Amino acid sequence: MHPPKPSYDQLMGHTRRHFLGASALGLGALAMRGIVGEARAADLPKGTHFPAKAKRVIYLFQAGGPSQFETLDPKPLLREKHTQPLPDSVRQGQRLTGMSGYQATLPLAGSFVGFKKYGKSGVEYSDLLSHTGEVADDLCVIRSMHTEAINHDPAITFFCSGNQVAGRPSMGAWASYGLGSMNENLPAFIVLVSQDASKDQPLYSRLWGAGFLPSEHQGVQFKAGKEPVLFLTNPEGVSPHARRGMLDALGKLNADQRAAELDPEVDARLAQAEMAYRMQTSVPEVADLSKESPATLAMYGESVKTPGSFAANCLQARRLIEKGVRFVQLFHQGWDQHGGLPGGIKRQCQQTDQASAALIKDLKQRGLLEDTLVIWGGEFGRTAYSQGKITKDSYGRDHHPRCFSLWMAGGGVKGGHVHGQTDEFGYNIVKDPVHVHDLHATMQHLLGVDHERQTFKFQGRYYRLTDVAGHVVKAVIA
Amino acid sequence: MRASALILSCVLTNALASAADDPVDFNREVRPILSDRCYGCHGPDADKGRKAGLRLDEFAGATKELKSGDRAIVPGDTEKSMMVERMRTTDPDEIMPPPELHRPLTVAEKDILTRWIKQGAKYDPHWAFVSPRAYPAPQVADTAWAKDPLDAFIAAQAAKAGLKTSPAADRTTLLRRASFALTGLPPTAEEVAAFLADNSADAYENRVDAMLASPRFGEHLAVGWLDLSRYADTWGYTGDKAMFAWPWRDWVLKAFNDNKPYDQFLTEQLAGDLLPSPTQDQRVATAFNRLHRMTFEGGSIAEEFRQDGINDRVMTAGYGFMGLTMECSRCHDHKYDPISQREYFSMAAMFGDQNENGLLSYHGEVPPPFVRLYKSELERKKESELRAAVTAAEMALAAHKSAYQGKPLVSVPAPIAHFPLEAFTKTGVDDFIVGGKPAVFERRSSPEDLQLTPAVKGQGVKFDGDAGFKLPEFKQLGRFDPFTFSAHLRLGEKNARATVLHSTGFYTGDGDATGVELLVVHGKLRWSMIHLWPNSAASVETTAELPVGAWQRVTVTYDGSSKAAGLRIYVDGRKAKTTVVRDTLNAKPRDNALEIGSRSRDAGFRNGSLDEIQLWRQALTSAEVAVLHGLDAQALSPPVLAEHAMLRIDQAHAESWKKFHEAQLALAAHQESAPAFFAMEHSPLAPKAYVLTRGEYDKPDLNKPCEPGVPTRIFPWDESLPKNRLGLARWLTDPRHPLTSRVVINRLWAQVFGAGLVATSENLGLQGDLPTHPELLDTLAVDFVRSGWNTKAMLRRFVLSSTFRQASTPTSEAREKDPANKYLARGPVLRLTAEMVRDQALLASGKLVEKVGGESVQESANRRSLYTYRKRTAPPDNMLIFDAGSREVCQPKRLNTNTPLQALVLLNNPGFVEAAKNLAAKVSKVSAEPSAQIIAAFRAVCTRDPRPAELAALNELYATQKANPPQFAPVPVPAPAPKPTPAAKPDAKAKKKKTPLPMPAPTLPKIPADPALAALTLVCSTILASDAAVTSR
Repeated sequence: MHPPKPSYDQLMGHTRRHFLGASALGLGALAMRGIVGEARAADLPKGTHFPAKAKRVIYLFQAGGPSQFETLDPKPLLREKHTQPLPDSVRQGQRLTGMSGYQATLPLAGSFVGFKKYGKSGVEYSDLLSHTGEVADDLCVIRSMHTEAINHDPAITFFCSGNQVAGRPSMGAWASYGLGSMNENLPAFIVLVSQDASKDQPLYSRLWGAGFLPSEHQGVQFKAGKEPVLFLTNPEGVSPHARRGMLDALGKLNADQRAAELDPEVDARLAQAEMAYRMQTSVPEVADLSKESPATLAMYGESVKTPGSFAANCLQARRLIEKGVRFVQLFHQGWDQHGGLPGGIKRQCQQTDQASAALIKDLKQRGLLEDTLVIWGGEFGRTAYSQGKITKDSYGRDHHPRCFSLWMAGGGVKGGHVHGQTDEFGYNIVKDPVHVHDLHATMQHLLGVDHERQTFKFQGRYYRLTDVAGHVVKAVIA
Repeated sequence: MRASALILSCVLTNALASAADDPVDFNREVRPILSDRCYGCHGPDADKGRKAGLRLDEFAGATKELKSGDRAIVPGDTEKSMMVERMRTTDPDEIMPPPELHRPLTVAEKDILTRWIKQGAKYDPHWAFVSPRAYPAPQVADTAWAKDPLDAFIAAQAAKAGLKTSPAADRTTLLRRASFALTGLPPTAEEVAAFLADNSADAYENRVDAMLASPRFGEHLAVGWLDLSRYADTWGYTGDKAMFAWPWRDWVLKAFNDNKPYDQFLTEQLAGDLLPSPTQDQRVATAFNRLHRMTFEGGSIAEEFRQDGINDRVMTAGYGFMGLTMECSRCHDHKYDPISQREYFSMAAMFGDQNENGLLSYHGEVPPPFVRLYKSELERKKESELRAAVTAAEMALAAHKSAYQGKPLVSVPAPIAHFPLEAFTKTGVDDFIVGGKPAVFERRSSPEDLQLTPAVKGQGVKFDGDAGFKLPEFKQLGRFDPFTFSAHLRLGEKNARATVLHSTGFYTGDGDATGVELLVVHGKLRWSMIHLWPNSAASVETTAELPVGAWQRVTVTYDGSSKAAGLRIYVDGRKAKTTVVRDTLNAKPRDNALEIGSRSRDAGFRNGSLDEIQLWRQALTSAEVAVLHGLDAQALSPPVLAEHAMLRIDQAHAESWKKFHEAQLALAAHQESAPAFFAMEHSPLAPKAYVLTRGEYDKPDLNKPCEPGVPTRIFPWDESLPKNRLGLARWLTDPRHPLTSRVVINRLWAQVFGAGLVATSENLGLQGDLPTHPELLDTLAVDFVRSGWNTKAMLRRFVLSSTFRQASTPTSEAREKDPANKYLARGPVLRLTAEMVRDQALLASGKLVEKVGGESVQESANRRSLYTYRKRTAPPDNMLIFDAGSREVCQPKRLNTNTPLQALVLLNNPGFVEAAKNLAAKVSKVSAEPSAQIIAAFRAVCTRDPRPAELAALNELYATQKANPPQFAPVPVPAPAPKPTPAAKPDAKAKKKKTPLPMPAPTLPKIPADPALAALTLVCSTILASDAAVTSR
């Protein structure tokens, strides 16, 4: 019934050509990607467009929208004008959310916490970020971020994928697609979600999804505990030895199938199963924080001992990028302080300040900071006025997309630098605005990628992370 | 493996390019280049997108004299054609396309364009925008091979590519292939045996017909449609609450199983509600346009999300029915296809014809418009009867004339509550009536929020807009309960919006407006009874504005009729002139405690004052309201007095009213016994549509109103059609429509043959791929329409064709020439979809629970995967890993990847381990002989018998594993608590603010302890992970 079978040599010769022809990165890369039937020559990853300053990224995403007024953007005027109404001349009729849009008055709220200058650079950080202040000379603070969306879901989706509409690839998926992994035994894009955060606003798997890129580029979530990656662990009773036996049998089944069907896809499938097997060893190894020195653990703070905490995840992130993971994204929820801001933000900073600073120090002492880009920030900022009444001890702040702050470090970014400026009310940007697309363009630039050239053709259009916009912010690059 | 095909075809193209004066085919060769490199700046987008006033998408524009005096194209003259010069230059400022496009022209492409200009620069219309026509089947050498005309097209094209068709696949392979193509499941061993034993000539046809008749057919066909329609079980945004949608999925299943003609399938989903006397099913079908995501996130702006929802409908219709990227023209004219921004918004006007709110209610009500889902036609008929009874009772009531002639005595009934508002206690204000319950402050954080102010009688209360008070005792005010509110009221400013009174309870935004409500809207009073605004409400508004700064007694009454006519507003004792804003109340309002002066996250009664608040649980008559205000009863007009007498004295009227009231209660009770289900419902109250500047919701261009319409350059509009969704459906199903039939045929083809005749099945526009077999596609499209849009008949042709029956194994030459099997000179190979992989494992292990339709279930229910509960923000991991989407937006096509995580799912996912265990247990009963057990397991999963090498490998695995029995950790891991079924209680979690991130607990499955069974389980697990299991070949 079957057509005449070619010889083994013919088969293998064909396979080699086929594999090498299909991918600029050769056999291993194909085993990693293994896209069937969809890849086109023009769409295959081309790697970098120019020399990269950063090889990898750790994104410490602070979900919910941290207030810039109590963290990175000091506004003494607000303390002076505390409780006075926001002047209409400042707001200029810009839209508010439905939450405070109908509020009868918009009283300005001064930060309950003071700011100090840190380091040689003398950049100001709030007293809630004293550990971060210790690494001030390594950080570049951007005080002029702005975005388009005013509600969490659209805003965080926009920040993580460059578009408010669901279904676009996330930042890490683009990095995985464009640059691939530096370790065949680990995924290129890994996501860590803090378990010690107050879960005020939900996260969605689309934030680390592959969108229309092949599903292999989707972020793989690492979790604290027995099974760091979903379905990684063998069923109870199946030893690694037994699993090896299964894979050997699987290899024989597939080799026979390969010979009968003359389909190199069978080989790719077996290669994936073998990689899965290697991940079963490599993942628990990299997830095991017990071998870290007491000094390192102390640097990250007490909560590093709590599996899944932000601190533990920072340390985990360092271990992952050491092993060659391209993009690690942490998510820490709980920054959505519509009311009770002083208490809430204090807790948030206690959970994140020390470990974020420790990550910078740790990367630096290992010589990894220079080619690892670290970014800390959320999806939008908060209003200069209080949502709800200001009381003696408390106030709240609504969402504010027109300006907010974040910091970057390492990976070719200027240290001890402040970029951009907001007006004295902290309501509008007065100098060097940085749009989310600009930040994405800059991040990709540091990774050696031209954001206009890294595209994927989908439904007839060339898509990129920065859509049709974005400028590299040269001023933050060292 | 398409990549190498492309490389290969590039090489071929290059080779061909050197052949000097070959005639150039515009559609096949030229347009793809122009579209990809030029149209972005020199294309149909007439707005600011077009550079240098040059358009290259049409002959006139490309050849006209430009401002510079040059012509881009001078037909026949490459020297004078500026375009040729600009693409040949090396000057980076001059060269076209500009370097920043990053997609320079290749030598071959320049050659094509140059030859095209030389040959006269002839433009042909885009192939997919010309009505398809049938072609005669080509002559082929092997006439015996072709079983269906489609085979001749395939064989001829294959021959041109130097390929020979393949011999038939063996019968077992064919049965597996057809079974997956038509039912999504493999055949059982028994079915294979029966088929192999059946030597009749029509054995295969009979099997195919049986599969087409099986309910599994609909379950399989539905999956692609659910992807495309973004069907899910949750709403998708923040909070991601349950969305009640599965009855629509049942409609889809039934439509496929009943082989509903595709034109009807399309029409009912787009416009079932607009068909004459629509059935309940036809109205359920329209939920197709309601499945898009919706949010209730606090602070969201309703119009923004209403526009996003409409855009989603346009986009889904674009991909689903036309294979076009309609949504590209939301912000500007389409860059490639002939769709202007205005036409986009004409389409948006088609889908925005609802009286709807862009936001969900925080409290989880089904967002109107909705239909009632009756279990039977009888119950539905009963609704009509009860409705008729209400109308009859209403007419009898209206016909009732009061015979009373004299001057009735008018006395005002005692109110049930009276707040004189003279002073505050610590927590609120006291009711004046002895024994009455005090009101309590609401949203009040400091004492100065509410001020006492000198008022009509002593003190009154002035509101700041954020604080108010609540009457905890005063609730359960339904739409059939009469009610009166009266107070002295003074505006402190001309409020654009101010809430004076409401019973909404917690309000997060526009989607929550419900209950009784008195607002100030731009200085006018608006008095409403609402189920959900704006769709289901009765509401009236004064024509005159209230004066600012003056005290007036405002009395509002509601007679419990559920109608706008039952809402009255009185100012200083006299009925105010009002207009009806809404008169569509058809369901229960929320009936929380009354609240005065403020509403959470809404504008309160800022700077307004109230004094002497009084409440009644009855509707005061006009005469009583007048007397309440101190007017002389004897001086009132005869009609007012006559009405009073009728309402208060006339027993016959009271009887009529009672009958009307009871008829309404009976209707409401019957309606509420049936669940509400979201649907489309055309409404004259829908907001007018305009072109939105740059597509932004808050920038309607009032100079550009949009009537419902379609992109007419794709297919002309017949003026006799109604300008609504029904007209749109008629336009789409016109047999001459160039896209509709091609899009379906292409999708069905892809489902059976792995890839479409147009590879970009989601885009048949200018940026899409060209068809590999254009004449075949067109002929099938015409056949399809002629057959009465008969889906089953078309699929039957496909699977009975010789093309489908070929062996899939290539010769090495065939693989070299056509690695992607574009020419189909061999049978199709498919990696099973996420659904097929799981369903096959369940079926093979004997645990598949086959029940057609119904609500979604957890995976543990062992139903087919299309029934698995789909939470949009956390889709089932194992399905995502096998390339299923999140169903957040329309997905016309899935990718097909091959990743390590797939291997982990097959080997370790609890469902697959469970399947391996069950399969092992099942086959262990077949025979005592391990080898026989293994063969049975292999057959159950892979359909065929294992080849000797395969059987040897599995036997060896069995022996080794049996010799090394499983080891278990000393302490068993406690089983995690079973997850609750979200489908079972759709609204229960409405109050739960903190939605934890979906974190499936690590459920480590366990293999059996018995060494033989354990070994067999691992063998089964290995089989399930093998290539033979996850492919159809």
